Amino acid sequence: MIIEIGHYALVLALATALIVSVMPMIGARRGDMAMMTLATTGSLALFALVLMSFGALTWAYVVSDFSVVNVWENSHSLMPLIYKFSGVWGNHEGSMMLWLLILCLFSAMVALFGRNLPETLKANVLAVQALIASAFLFFILLTSNPFLRLDPAPAEGQDLNPVLQDLGLAIHPPLLYLGYVGFSVCFSFAVAALIEGRIDAAWARWVRPWTLAAWTFLTAGIAMGSYWAYYELGWGGWWFWDPVENASFMPWLAGTALLHSALVMEKREALKIWTVLLAIITFSLSLLGTFLVRSGVLTSVHSFATDPTRGIFILCILAIFIGGAFTLFAWRAPSLKSGGLFAPISREGALVLNNLILTVATGTVLTGTLYPLVLETLTGEKISVGAPFFNMTFGLLMLPLLVAVPFGPLLAWKRGDLLGALQRLYLVAGLSLVAGLVFFYIYNGGPILSIFGLALGFWGMFGAVADLWYRGNFGKVKLGVAFRRLSGLPRSTFGTALAHFGLGVTVLGIFAATTFGTETVTEMKPGASVDAGGYTLTFDGMREAAGPNYTESRGHFTVKRGSVSVAETWSSKRLYTARRMPTTEAGILSFGASQLYVSLGDPMADGGIVVRIWWKPFILCIWGGALVMMFAGFVSLSDRRLRVGAPSRKAKAAKVVKPGLEAAE
Amino acid sequence: MGPMVLWILLAFLTAGVAAVLLMPFARTAAATPADRAGDVEVYRDQLEELNRDRAQGLIGTQEAEYARAEIGRRLLAAAGAGSVSGTVAAKASRHRVATAIVTLLPPVLGLCLYLSLGNPGLPDQPLQARLANPGNNLALLVTKAERHLAQNPQDGAGWDLLAPIYLRSMRLGDAELAFRNAVRILGPSATRLTGLGETLVAASDGVVTDDARAAFEQAVKLDPDNPRARFYTGLGLEQAGRAPEAKDVFEKIAGESPSDAPWMPLVNEHIAKNGGQVAPKGAAGSDAAQAPGNPSSQDVAAAGQMSQGDRQQMIRGMVDSLAARLKEDPKNLDGWLRLVRSYAVLGNKAKAQEALKSGLTQFPAVGEDGKQLVALAQEMGLAAEGANP
Repeated sequence: MIIEIGHYALVLALATALIVSVMPMIGARRGDMAMMTLATTGSLALFALVLMSFGALTWAYVVSDFSVVNVWENSHSLMPLIYKFSGVWGNHEGSMMLWLLILCLFSAMVALFGRNLPETLKANVLAVQALIASAFLFFILLTSNPFLRLDPAPAEGQDLNPVLQDLGLAIHPPLLYLGYVGFSVCFSFAVAALIEGRIDAAWARWVRPWTLAAWTFLTAGIAMGSYWAYYELGWGGWWFWDPVENASFMPWLAGTALLHSALVMEKREALKIWTVLLAIITFSLSLLGTFLVRSGVLTSVHSFATDPTRGIFILCILAIFIGGAFTLFAWRAPSLKSGGLFAPISREGALVLNNLILTVATGTVLTGTLYPLVLETLTGEKISVGAPFFNMTFGLLMLPLLVAVPFGPLLAWKRGDLLGALQRLYLVAGLSLVAGLVFFYIYNGGPILSIFGLALGFWGMFGAVADLWYRGNFGKVKLGVAFRRLSGLPRSTFGTALAHFGLGVTVLGIFAATTFGTETVTEMKPGASVDAGGYTLTFDGMREAAGPNYTESRGHFTVKRGSVSVAETWSSKRLYTARRMPTTEAGILSFGASQLYVSLGDPMADGGIVVRIWWKPFILCIWGGALVMMFAGFVSLSDRRLRVGAPSRKAKAAKVVKPGLEAAE
Repeated sequence: MGPMVLWILLAFLTAGVAAVLLMPFARTAAATPADRAGDVEVYRDQLEELNRDRAQGLIGTQEAEYARAEIGRRLLAAAGAGSVSGTVAAKASRHRVATAIVTLLPPVLGLCLYLSLGNPGLPDQPLQARLANPGNNLALLVTKAERHLAQNPQDGAGWDLLAPIYLRSMRLGDAELAFRNAVRILGPSATRLTGLGETLVAASDGVVTDDARAAFEQAVKLDPDNPRARFYTGLGLEQAGRAPEAKDVFEKIAGESPSDAPWMPLVNEHIAKNGGQVAPKGAAGSDAAQAPGNPSSQDVAAAGQMSQGDRQQMIRGMVDSLAARLKEDPKNLDGWLRLVRSYAVLGNKAKAQEALKSGLTQFPAVGEDGKQLVALAQEMGLAAEGANP
């Protein structure tokens, strides 16, 4: 009965979403308060219904109710409890439910926290959100219904895809969707503003926290997905330029540009067109990603099942929303009032450069992702566009951007002094180069050019520190004064510096791991040893073991430095019994930020086994940097400024005193 | 809890949602806040920030003045607009259509869609509850046994029981493991070894592999009269291209078996295939190895991919073919039992009754076999004629 209630709640959610997507918009046109308020209560009701439905599905998974087709296809009664929970979204239907749930969660949050938005804007935003929700509710109910039943019910499920039986599934999709779907709010804000024909700094300020939140989650989601692929797939790689990865990376690139241009718009009311366009593009790319992954156009671990009707359905959703938004944009854009003026060399100018490079980079990734698909559709020829293409195009575009990043925060608004910024940064540049050289000397072995790559990473890190250094006026005033100045800075300044620092850390990790890493593929018999990264790895032998729903052969390795034993690890090959599907579980040892990665291959006839051993120096920096960026996002989100304009009205009284305080600083 | 309770809950849910959606219309339109109050606040804050930036040297003096002027203009515009704008207080009469839609759409759309998509009559079936009361659902019994064995892997009798069931349902990997465990714990026997051998043969698409042959040969050693094991050793020889030896084995089986043994047609076929003469026999029995109407593993896998309608159709097709085969070969108790159950489950009472009647003419209710049919009929709620003499 719980399942049927969940199913009905989903149907009821569709009715609610339809009402909320139409009435508030009419209300906003007529200035009808009741119909506009409907957006708020309706969005909350919609979220409650979808949550109820999602809860019912989760319950079916937890109690292994195999009378639900979706549960039978993707679960197994002996799976550990955490995978029963995460298994809910480890399949097509369930992941669409998660998508919808998060969409409605964001609507509900706008309804709750957007109390001080202008009523018409809020009504329109929530209506557009509900319109997206309606489309996906239709999609779920008609083509991907997770509540279809099976009678009589089978006694055992077909198990979850073994690759997905991992903690990563519990973390990666929710984070990624919080990012992906979070950009829907920016999209809705953009569309609502276009409908009203009014876009100004206040608008940008209301959008910014949502952009920031979505960007933060997407950063974390992508990093988590990359780390998951790294340790679970057993290939030792962390990014494959796989179309599915690109699908999540493109909204991130566009979202990063959006984040920066919303900043300009909010502060100086410039870059209006950029901001609106990027808001539309970012969510369009999220939708495109959903289409690519869910339609079965791409085959990968993410596509679960393929069904052409689903593809066509999503394609229609895509056409309606993207096409509609761009039409609206084309109609309204000419009437947007231009904002503040600025010289080419200024903070605004730097951010325009940033937007340009990021947009072009998004374009190259989009081309590399779609070109093989288009070519295959038109000519039937199968090509794969891989790392060489992306390194040549995307990589080349990123170099000037990475060089430019530390300049941005040092340039003044409206008209900046490039020479001044250069003078302040030449020490940083020198230090970065020295750090790169030292790194190269210690880990000798990579190509000479890698020094510049490493220096680029350090440049990003040191540049961020320099930004704070000059803000605090360290070296010119007393230390105590400088620290006081530093602590007086708004949180968003720290957010900027931290995020740029994190970017530097990631770049450092990428260059260090790719240029100094080693790979050894060899056949090992018990007792044999291999050297990697200054450690000696000894293979001690294989052992059979069994888990709740799998059997495995595990190899034991001892790691020595010199003659001292420093660590040990297991690396195994698993066979999941229900699906008869093998997986590899790599043995991974961390030494500082570096890792030793051991993966088992096929056993040989003479008792040996093929072993792949990677030494990955500083690889953890890649994800560590992403974590720093994520943390920076939260720091920035906590900035007081983001609550202005959408804060409680009580704040007004306090405001009057404020200028006095500022002057004292 | 019957479906009635479900409907009552769904009605409450619908009413609740409609009530929440109607709430804004019930309230008298409150005085709406000035639309632009938020804007003014934002611009004020921008001015403050400008001062802060100026103090930190983030913007030049002249530029700051320009920016101040820009923001000031916007601030004035926003403050001016704020006093003008205001929302029209809505009259209740204007909401008649809106309230009608809000009241009607959830129940109407909800019911229409739910009735076409949902299964209101189907209760929840959590596995734990089903396992506690499995009835005679074979799959559940298997699952229960599996759980027992996961806890007590040394229970040889359990493996012995499960192994042939696995083999019959084509879960070959599990069957092999179960047979091997049974052999390991309880010791080799002709039945277990033959089962293991058959599993291996099935797993390699009918080829008698070395492993399988070893199992059959050991089985024959333990029980020289086991026709099944002997048949497979013969098959192995045949596949190895040793036709004369194969023929000997098959002929020996034929000679020692009763002429109406169910395996005879198959044995005769192989004798002929290896160049022997088949002794003419009267009645050709059915192929026991092929129980009619059992879906193959591919069929079951296909059923998983199908829509509800297609699956129903496939099941009906299988049931019909079973009925047809039983008409030709009625001496098949298992077949009748399955046919009666299938019709009853599909909700076709008349046909179930008819099948039961035909079955009982073959296996009278007084006999041991007939009693099984009667028991099934009672379980399925069918009237069995002559059941209670």
